[in-house]
Amino acid sequence: MEARLVNELAEARAAAAAVASAADSAPNKLPVRERIARICDPGSFAEYGPLAQEEGADEPMPADGLVIGTARIEGIPVVVGSYDTSVADGSQSKVNQAKLDRLVFFAVEHRMPLVCFVDGGGWRKSSSETRTSRWLGGGTGRMGALDGLCELSGLAPSVAIMSGEALEGNADLAMLAECVIATRGSSFGASDHLMSVEYRATRGDVDILVETEAEAIQEARRYITYLLKDAPSGEPSATAETIDNILPDNRRRAYDMRRVITALADEGSVLELRPHWGTSLITSLVRMGGRTVGVFANQPMSPILGAIDSTAADKMARFIELCDAYGVPLLSLIDSPGFHIGPDAERDGIARHHVRTLSAIEHRDVPLFCVQLRKAYGLGPLVMRGSWGHLPPDLRLAWPTVETGGMSLEGAAYLVKRKEIQAAKTPEEAIAIRDAYANTLRERESGVRAAHNFSFDDVIMPSETRDRIIRALENAPRIQRTEKKTYLDLV
Amino acid sequence: MKRDLKEQLLQARDLALDHARPEAVARVHASGHLTARERIRALLDPGSEIEIGILQGKADWGWVHTTGGVDFFGTVNGRPVVASSTDYSDHGGGYGAGYLARLFSLARQHRWPVILFSDGGGSRAQSLEGTGAEFKRLQGRYPGGTGFFEGLAALAGWVPLIAVVAGRSFAGHATLAAFCDVIIATKGSAIGMGGPPMVEAAFGIKISPTELGPVEMHERIGGIDLLVEDEPAAIDAAKRVLAYHYDEPTGPAPADTSYFDEVISSDGTYDMRRLLAALVDEGSLLELRPAFARSVITAFARMDGRTVGILANQPLSEVRGAITEHAADKIARFVQQCNSHGIPILSIIDTPGCTVTDQEGEQRPGISRHHARPVRAFHHRSVPLISVQVGKASGMGACAMSGIGSAHSLPVLRLAWPTAAIGVEDQYSQGFDDVVLPEETREKILKVLRMVGPRTLPAEKARPRDSW
Repeated sequence: MEARLVNELAEARAAAAAVASAADSAPNKLPVRERIARICDPGSFAEYGPLAQEEGADEPMPADGLVIGTARIEGIPVVVGSYDTSVADGSQSKVNQAKLDRLVFFAVEHRMPLVCFVDGGGWRKSSSETRTSRWLGGGTGRMGALDGLCELSGLAPSVAIMSGEALEGNADLAMLAECVIATRGSSFGASDHLMSVEYRATRGDVDILVETEAEAIQEARRYITYLLKDAPSGEPSATAETIDNILPDNRRRAYDMRRVITALADEGSVLELRPHWGTSLITSLVRMGGRTVGVFANQPMSPILGAIDSTAADKMARFIELCDAYGVPLLSLIDSPGFHIGPDAERDGIARHHVRTLSAIEHRDVPLFCVQLRKAYGLGPLVMRGSWGHLPPDLRLAWPTVETGGMSLEGAAYLVKRKEIQAAKTPEEAIAIRDAYANTLRERESGVRAAHNFSFDDVIMPSETRDRIIRALENAPRIQRTEKKTYLDLV
Repeated sequence: MKRDLKEQLLQARDLALDHARPEAVARVHASGHLTARERIRALLDPGSEIEIGILQGKADWGWVHTTGGVDFFGTVNGRPVVASSTDYSDHGGGYGAGYLARLFSLARQHRWPVILFSDGGGSRAQSLEGTGAEFKRLQGRYPGGTGFFEGLAALAGWVPLIAVVAGRSFAGHATLAAFCDVIIATKGSAIGMGGPPMVEAAFGIKISPTELGPVEMHERIGGIDLLVEDEPAAIDAAKRVLAYHYDEPTGPAPADTSYFDEVISSDGTYDMRRLLAALVDEGSLLELRPAFARSVITAFARMDGRTVGILANQPLSEVRGAITEHAADKIARFVQQCNSHGIPILSIIDTPGCTVTDQEGEQRPGISRHHARPVRAFHHRSVPLISVQVGKASGMGACAMSGIGSAHSLPVLRLAWPTAAIGVEDQYSQGFDDVVLPEETREKILKVLRMVGPRTLPAEKARPRDSW
């Protein structure tokens, strides 16, 4: 090789490396190369376009502000990218847009998960083209980045990591990704109207909120690994032993369903999605004996006591679709007074939203295991139980605290004994009539008796639950999809 | 045949029909409604109807006249449909038990549209004492069969589903309606997840059905698609909606196109409804969810007889045609709906962009995950799309109105009017295939519709059409 050429290459690389290592000074943010090093398996990153930069730039633009490449996460081939806010504020340009298109195209063609750090954004002022012709992807004639993200939906997971400010097109990228992980204090949106990730999390636009970028990277790795790959085994939770004592003796008292999930799952394995939105329903990816399970569970501690309102219904439907797309079995933990009712719930459109959950359950083909902890009234829990849809549930378990019945037993008693109740002389007498009949119903079909008519496959102790689910998982081969089933909804 | 067998049969059949219970029929009429069978008779072509399950009138707890509903198949304008109506007058109605599930199986197999009159309060209260098995029976589950909810879920996105709510539709009956593409409600009706007795039992508050879930409220929040005066109007509307699922050989040109001049000379504030009326076949525009997310119009219309699904921004709305999160949901659902039934989409774009609700409840520029819904729906569509940019197409607005527009999801034709804004903010603008005068637009669209040929239905259901 001619020495001049060798030197030229070495100099270009040195220049790129020199500027790139002038670390971004923002607090909590890692330099872009550090991000890449941490998110990929050691030594697996293969970079594309490290020397790319726009012609005529006044200053060096390492990688033109967007580092991309292929890599592996826990052995899974992935594509990764990171905007670099130390280079022209991580703005979009003609060149780095072509790199982004290439990254997404690669992911779609080879069905690889995608992770992208999306801080920065806005069109670079010095860039020679208006964004018009580039951003929409028309320029490549093949597939633009955003169309590519649509195509990738349901085909392979896509994760946007947001740390700092993500503007304009970069905010759009995040909203089209399947999973958004954000560090607290970050914000995104149109450049004059940034909104905090904390606020957007309450509206369902952020899946996982963390403190630091290091944590964001950890969670992104977990998200992708959980969805695509099981571990050979897993240790029980440190709190596994406490599970028999989580439910209060008083059947009217609430408890924290998160404690149940933590106690059932492998130690430290709970990855909760969208905890700040639709809070009456918890959706978490967890491991049980190493196998990934998608847990959706009512939260009796929520303001609406575990009822399923419009947002909880949306959250449940979308989570079921996510797990189904990647062949992840589902586990429902049920303790709910049903779909939310009353004037407020109706104004929020529950009468139409609730059907999204029925549709998701009907169209799934991953296994569904369910455990009924306490109450399950009406249609909502019936959906969670899988007593619905063309596929029967794979396992129907109940704890001895179970209460069965199509609706609240007090409600049923009220309807059946309505005439007597309305004829009662005092409110106390009315309640007494109702409760007496409710107790009759409770005696008839609750607790251990719930197993008699075979509406459950078994009634078991909480502490026996983990083992039963793990055995069921072992007996249910994981679905491997050869084709994309459908695209995922985002709301 | 033994004489008494024949008499038994005739007597049993007779008992089930309306004339066997004049008091109940009188009550129904006095309340301004039609009986279940009268509704179906008004809907189906005379003489085409076949009723099934007419004799299934015996429940565990005594004699009832119907199984809570009546189930038919027959034709509407010569085209096969299945139709069912709950019978609220008979012990509060029910679901039509096993026969509803059977209707849905037939609809799935033969790809027949479904029309449901869905009023009632879910499963019959009297069946509450028997839980479990009784509920399954009411669901219509039998060995080897599926229940009717899942039967209907499987139909969403496969055949046209039309619900009529005339009266009170709560719990399971609201579920039936919510599975449908189009919900037509009569004024004064009510829809809700849990009816007044449930609300009273749960919260101890007494509330009337029309306070709890008035369809006038649902019209604003997107809970229904069409609000009409009364049952005859609802039945006419159901026939009309159904008819849009078939093309006509030809149709009348718009009578008056003079509004185009006003649009061209306006400052961007014009009534999109009037623009559309000047573009599509005379009198053919039927807007769905008109009072919900008013910045985007979703409508069926015809162009020389062919049905098109129209999306259009409304500059006269409060947010001047911006795509709010509700509007994004409205578009996404409508795109799925058109795509399911092979209806080409015509998108008329004039939007300042997408907006997100901020912490103060104000609309601010930007997108949320709601806006990703139409983008994905457009990307995965297979029906032809034609877009016309009339004014602005800022930010992600154009993408929410017509998709990203690269190789996989390009519209067949991208037109613009001379009034179209062309600038950095209006990203879509460089992709025009042609700039046309308003009066040339209709003919350009018709050429495309003729070229793409007759409507084709997807061979398989691609994705369940979303209920929201």
